[in-house]
Order: sequence, then C-alpha cells, then structure tokens
Amino acid sequence: MSNPHELSTSVHAGTETIAAKPAMSPLKRTLIALLHNRLALVGLIITGILLLAAVLAPVLAPQDPYDLAQLDIMDGRLAPGGESMTGLTYWLGTDTQGRDLVSAIMYGLRTSILVGLVSAAVALVIGTSIGLFSAYAGGRIDAVLMRIVDIQLSFPSILIALIFLAILGQGVDKIIIALVVTQWAYYARTVRGSALVESKRAYIEAARSMALPDRSIIFRHMLPNCLPPLIVVATMRIAYAIMLEATLSFLGIGLPVTEPSLGLLISNGFEYILSGDYWISFFPGITLLLLIVGINLIGDALRDILNPRREG
Amino acid sequence: MTRPILLIDDLNTAFKVGGEWRNVIRDVSFEIAERETVAVVGESGSGKSVTAMSIMRLLGPNARSTGRIEFEGQDLLSLPMEAMQTIRGNRIGMIFQEPMTSLNPVLKIGNQITEVLMQHRGMDQAAARAEAVRLLDRVRIPSAEARLNEYPLSFSGGMRQRVVIAIALACEPKLLIADEPTTALDVTIQAQILELIKTLQQEEGMSVLFITHDMGVVAEISDRTVVMYRGDIVEADTTKRIFRDAAHPYTRALLSAVPQLGSMAGEPRPLRFPIVDMRTGEAQPVKQTADTVRAEEAPILQVEHLVTRFPVRKGLLQRTVGNIHAVEDVSFEVRKGETLSLVGESGCGKSTTGRSIIRLTELTSGSVSISGRDVASASKSELADIRRDAQMIFQDPFESLNPRMRVGDAIAEPMITHGLVKRSDAQQRVGALLEQVGLSQAMADRFPHEFSGGQRQRVCIARALALDPKLIVADESVSALDVSIKAQVINLMLDLQEQLGLGYLFISHDMAVVERISHRVAVMYLGEIVEIGPRQAVFENPQHPYTRKLMSAVPIADPTRRRARTISTDEIRSPYHDAGYAPAARQYQEISAGHFVQMQAVEKAA
Repeated sequence: MSNPHELSTSVHAGTETIAAKPAMSPLKRTLIALLHNRLALVGLIITGILLLAAVLAPVLAPQDPYDLAQLDIMDGRLAPGGESMTGLTYWLGTDTQGRDLVSAIMYGLRTSILVGLVSAAVALVIGTSIGLFSAYAGGRIDAVLMRIVDIQLSFPSILIALIFLAILGQGVDKIIIALVVTQWAYYARTVRGSALVESKRAYIEAARSMALPDRSIIFRHMLPNCLPPLIVVATMRIAYAIMLEATLSFLGIGLPVTEPSLGLLISNGFEYILSGDYWISFFPGITLLLLIVGINLIGDALRDILNPRREG
Repeated sequence: MTRPILLIDDLNTAFKVGGEWRNVIRDVSFEIAERETVAVVGESGSGKSVTAMSIMRLLGPNARSTGRIEFEGQDLLSLPMEAMQTIRGNRIGMIFQEPMTSLNPVLKIGNQITEVLMQHRGMDQAAARAEAVRLLDRVRIPSAEARLNEYPLSFSGGMRQRVVIAIALACEPKLLIADEPTTALDVTIQAQILELIKTLQQEEGMSVLFITHDMGVVAEISDRTVVMYRGDIVEADTTKRIFRDAAHPYTRALLSAVPQLGSMAGEPRPLRFPIVDMRTGEAQPVKQTADTVRAEEAPILQVEHLVTRFPVRKGLLQRTVGNIHAVEDVSFEVRKGETLSLVGESGCGKSTTGRSIIRLTELTSGSVSISGRDVASASKSELADIRRDAQMIFQDPFESLNPRMRVGDAIAEPMITHGLVKRSDAQQRVGALLEQVGLSQAMADRFPHEFSGGQRQRVCIARALALDPKLIVADESVSALDVSIKAQVINLMLDLQEQLGLGYLFISHDMAVVERISHRVAVMYLGEIVEIGPRQAVFENPQHPYTRKLMSAVPIADPTRRRARTISTDEIRSPYHDAGYAPAARQYQEISAGHFVQMQAVEKAA
C-alpha cells in the first residue's frame, strides 16, 4: 500500500462500527448460555449426578447386584432403610432376591444410558449422512429417500422395535440395532430440512463458485451450519431412546435378565406393588423419570439458545 | 409563520440492552410545518427509523423516550396509549419499507381498506367500499373497482406500495410518515411512487416526514432535510442549502460519496469517488484511473447467444407448460482490465446471466468461454479449473460467508483445495490478501459477524482474489452497502483493477454507480440486451426507449435539477412464455463504434 489513497481507504474501513465481541467459539458461547439458564442448570445437575452414578457404579455401589455370592435370599423384599443379616443398611430396600436397590439402580442406569447414548449416536451418524446426501443430491434420490423416511415415521416406533426384536432376539446389541432403526429417520428428516435451507444460501453458492469439492462443501460448510437443530433433536432423542428401551424391557422383550436396565427393574417389582412392596418398582421409576426430565430440560434450553433468530 | 404540525424537542430514545439503557438517539429536535416535506437522511445505525418509531410510539416496552413530541399542539409522549391509538393511523399515517409484509396476505385488498374506514371513520359497508374505490383511484391503481376483490399476492411490489399508501390516506391524515418507502422497489417504480407521494401531498394538503438513506431521493422530494449520524442530528437546513453548501464534514462526506447520474459527462474512463474525511471535512484529491483495458488481447470472457430458461412444470406428470425466459440471446465480451456493467431492473435476467457464465445455473443454449475455454461443455474437473479464472462476489457479504468459519480459513480454503499454496504458507498469503483489500492481517482469526458490512465485503473480495482470477463477476456487490462504504469499496475495486488487470462483469441496478465504474455498459430488459456500448456513448446518447426511461427514473442528488414527471403505472413485464414460444431473432443497429441498439421488432420491446 504505497499510494496515499489506498491508505485513506484502509483507515476508513477501520473506523466503521464493528460488533465489539471477543472471538468466542460457538461451543463455548452455548455452554455459557446454558449455565445461565436456571432450568437448564437443574437439568445439567440431575443428568450429571445420574451419569456419574452410572459411570462409577462399580466403585460406588454398596454391592454388585449380579454377583450371586453377595446376595442373600433372606434379605428379600426389605423395606427402605431395612438392615441386612450382615448389618448393611438398604436405603432403598431390596428386591425379591435380596438385591440392594441402590446398587441395582446404579447398574440399571449404566445399561439404560449406554443403550440410549450408543443407539442415539449411531442413529445420528446414519441419519445425518442420509439427510445431508439427500438434500445435496436433490431430485429423484431425495424424493426416494424422503419417502422411505415418511413410511418409517408413519409407524409407531415401538411397533418397529417390537418387530425387530422378535426377529433378532434379546441382547444389548440387538436392542441398540432396533433403536437405531426406529430413530435414524428423525435425524435424516431434521438434517435434510436444515441442509436444504443452507444449500440455498449464498455461502454455499460461493463455495460452489470457487469450485470446492462436494465433500468439503457438504462436511465443512453445510454440516456445521446444520448442527444447532441437530443437537436439539439429538438430546431429545437420547431421552426418547432410553424411554423406549425401558418400555421394551418392561414388556420383557428388551434386555436379558443378566443385564437389567431400569425398565427391567420396574417390571420386576411390578407384581408386588399391590401387595404393598412399592419400592421395588417405585425407585427405579423415579430414577428413570429424573433422567428423562433432566435430559429434556437441557434439550429445551438448547433449543432456545441455538434458535437462529436469537443469535446476534 | 403558523404553528408547525409536528414539533420535536430534545427527543432522546434509549433501548434496554442486557439490563442497561443505551441511548440510540440524542437530543433530536426539528419541526415540520403544514404542507411541508421534511426528509430525515442517514446511513444504517443513524437512528432515523428509531426517530420515526418514537413519534408513533411503536417501540415497545424495551425502549424509553424522553423529550417532547408535539403534534397539533398535543404532547404525544405524555398521551395514554389508548389516545395514541386514535392518532396513529388516523391523524398520522405511516408507510413502511416492505410492501410485502405490511399487507395481510390472506385478506382481500378491498377488505383491508374498508376495515380501516369502518373502524376509524365509522362508515357503513357500502360507503366504505365506495371510498375504497376512490382511494385506489387516488393512488392511480388502474381499474380500481375490479381489483378490490384481489389478494395482495396478485399485486406487484409497486402496486402493493400504492395500496399501503391508500390505506395510510384512508383517514385523511395531517402527517404522513414514510419510512424508506421506495427502497425495496425498482428504480422506475420508485420514480412512480415518489411522484405519487409528491402529488398526493399537494392534493391532500398533508405534511410528510420522509425517512431515507438515499440522497437522490432526498433531493427529489424534500423541502427541508435533517441529516443524522449515529443518533445525532449533524445538520438541518433547507434541502437546497444542504446540497449547495453543507456545513458539517459528515454531510459533505456523505454527499461526495453519492454518485450522480450525468456527472461523468466527458470523462473517458471510470472515476474514483472523492473521499472526504468525516471529522475534518477535507477532501482527498481524486486520482485518475489508469487506462487498464487491454483491447489488443483476446477477451477473457466471451458470451455468444446465451440463452437460459427455467421450465415451469404443472400437473401430475410435471409437464413443461411454459418457460421463464430469463436470458434470451445475449452476447458480449469482457477484456482484460475492462469493466462491463449489466444494468437493468429486477427480473431482467442480469443476475442469471452472471450465474450462467460460471454455470452456477445451467445454460439452455449458446456458448460461454473464459480465457478461451468453453464453459458449457466443460466436465466437472475442467469446470473447476475454469472457475479459478472467474470468481464471483455476491450482494450480501454476510450471507456469502460461512458464519461458522473464521475468515482466514474461508480465504485459505480455495487456495489449498486448488493446490495454489501449501497449508503452511496459507496464513501468510491470507495476511497479504487481507492487507490488499484494506484490512489487517490480525483479522484473519475473526468470524464474519465480528465485521461491519463494508469490511465483510472486503473479505469477500479478498477471498475472490485468492485464486488469482482474471475475471470477477460482481453481482450487486455494493448495493447493500451504505453510501460512504459503497464509495470506498468501489474505489478499492478500481485500485485492484489497476494493480491486477482484472476484468469485471459488474451487475447492478444502480445507474449512477454503473456510470462511475464502467468502461462499457449493457442495458438488459426482459432477458435481452437492448443496448450495449461504451459507457459514454450509452449514457450521453441513449437510443433505446427503455434505456431512456431507466435514466430518467434515477433520482438525481441535486435539488436544482428536479424534473416534473407524469405518474405512469407501467409495470415490468413478465418474461414467462408458453412452451413452444420461439422469440423472434433480434436485429441490432450500430449507432457509433461499438454502440449497438436493439431494433424495434414487430413485437414491442419496451
């Protein structure tokens, strides 16, 4: 910039008003906003505690509920606060086999959360890829894929899951597959919707006019801008997957008895509710409720925070 | 002198932002006399619209106004809200910028007008209907009676704005507040609406408060002018005096940045804008542009008989029932260092032409070659190569940058993908490019939202330059920018043309800017070029009736050169034709060297 005129333009460019915000990554901005939202904070705390309990179950749990050597049938159906033959206090009581419910719930949470997270993650990857591809390809491919999604979404998830489990049989891997099959379509629909909007925007045109390869247009330009609605759907879907798994296990077609989830625990105590031993179903049920409410609170707050109309 | 209709005294309006009150306008005072038109002019963020909204008290609970707004002797700020309702839309009418959104799309036009009449003037159904017809007649809507039963959808933008004006006039207001009423309209339609407002003002004896950013419009319409800058009034005077000898440096800076149609008479080459310092009011001498056109070399862009049509499909089998003839038989060339401008109104096919050239839109027939390579038949990888030579800059710089990418990465990405630089050297090259467009190296780490509009457009220019192109297609690239920023960006583009020998295809609706920047000009109408030639020839000796109409519609930023126009209701015609329609071959007549005009065919072209 040697000529004086050039200098004057650059000086003027400098005097324009700019948003005096420090450069903050979108992730950090979202997290801070989340912490400032009271309900989201409650959700984060609940979910955090439950998650911790699940992860640390082998360390924290008073007993290993599935080590038969640690169980005593004589402790069966003790009320909350009852003491065992060996002097241990069962704060939430025991089930018919004399299993400490605190421990059983912690281990149950482990399975529930694992199944929920893994199935949501796999469904997210599959659904997102299909949604992005569908939106970018357009035309006939898009139409065919979206009709498949339509068909899938017109069946109740539980029905599809039931059919799959009937074919595949029981097991953690089987139920994850079944949950993925019932969930991917939601992600595909969401991503395709926002990707279609994004693909019409000028920055995608700009990327095309610079002859960037399709791969980098889809993944570097389109995907990051489709993330906000996707994150919201994902949180809600994790909660839904956990609930669906609990329902299936409750019906006795989900997980095997050797790997009980919250649903199975509820189902185990179901027959004793009327005879007064409410706690066997009640406490796993409350835990499930807290988990779902916690995740949904976070999801709700995220939806508000990530709403593009609120972004400055 | 009689008492003013509107008197504003020490008006301050503050908005609550994050729990704090931030003053948006400070100590604004002016008055509007009876039958007077006062323009409030300023760039974005100057507080001109907030002033209008404060008068109407339309700002909502997050805003607070203090001071005095006296309308017909009543202080509006101390009135209870219910009393305000009877003044709003009754004694004070208002017109907004977007005629699309200020009409309810699911209600018939007639009902929207009669509703106001019945509510505010207590008319019965029959009387209101008769009055509605009269009002539509007053705003010169042809066959008013028949159009009462139509929905806003079947009205064009200009016609909708007329309906909005009719509604505003329904209660015979004493004051009409018009907030950028012509900004969203085409220039010929803008001229119609301005003329209409002027005529109506005299017929109805209203006062008008006209909010605008366009100095040309101000010069056309207002008796007195208030110039605002960042919430303050910097100058207020009669319009004539403001234009003749503005006192404040900002006003002078603003005026020097306004392109004036016809000011380029006798200039052979494009001209930079004089930049006036906003604080001192000192003007920098304008450096002449060098002769950059390489006429002896082969053109970098050659377009021959380009046709782009969009099929309109209908029915179950999606049969093509007709075509939008967006571009019809367009031919031109751009040489190294040359700026060819495509100018025309919305829907004339100028943008589609630009997009067809680099095949962002598939062309129907014809040939386009960039640096001698054919675009239409290029394979995907050949096209990628060709696009390196021809880069595009879009209208909205914010939209055309990925909001989640740092601008440094955005500029580096095409260079790395095309293997022009190694990843390790990219940062340095990005820094150099940013400095070339008048930004600093350190800005590479910022996200697009951290820049102002003008800076963002500079970023887009830097990104376009990253691939070392020979041709830049600038699609309305400066249209969305404020006047003073626009002038700077145009100066930058002229500098870059000098330094790099770039060819520009400059697509714009703004005749005055086009006159300033171009070597050659092509005027487009309904997908066809109606006139093309050297800038001087086209502007000083326009031949085609449409070119003349376009030029006479441009508001001139000089109140002494006001022209009386008749209010026409011409609309821009539709380029839609039924399937199988074959346009007649056009003949061109050469008026002088390189200046071609479309001959009037059997079919009327304009």
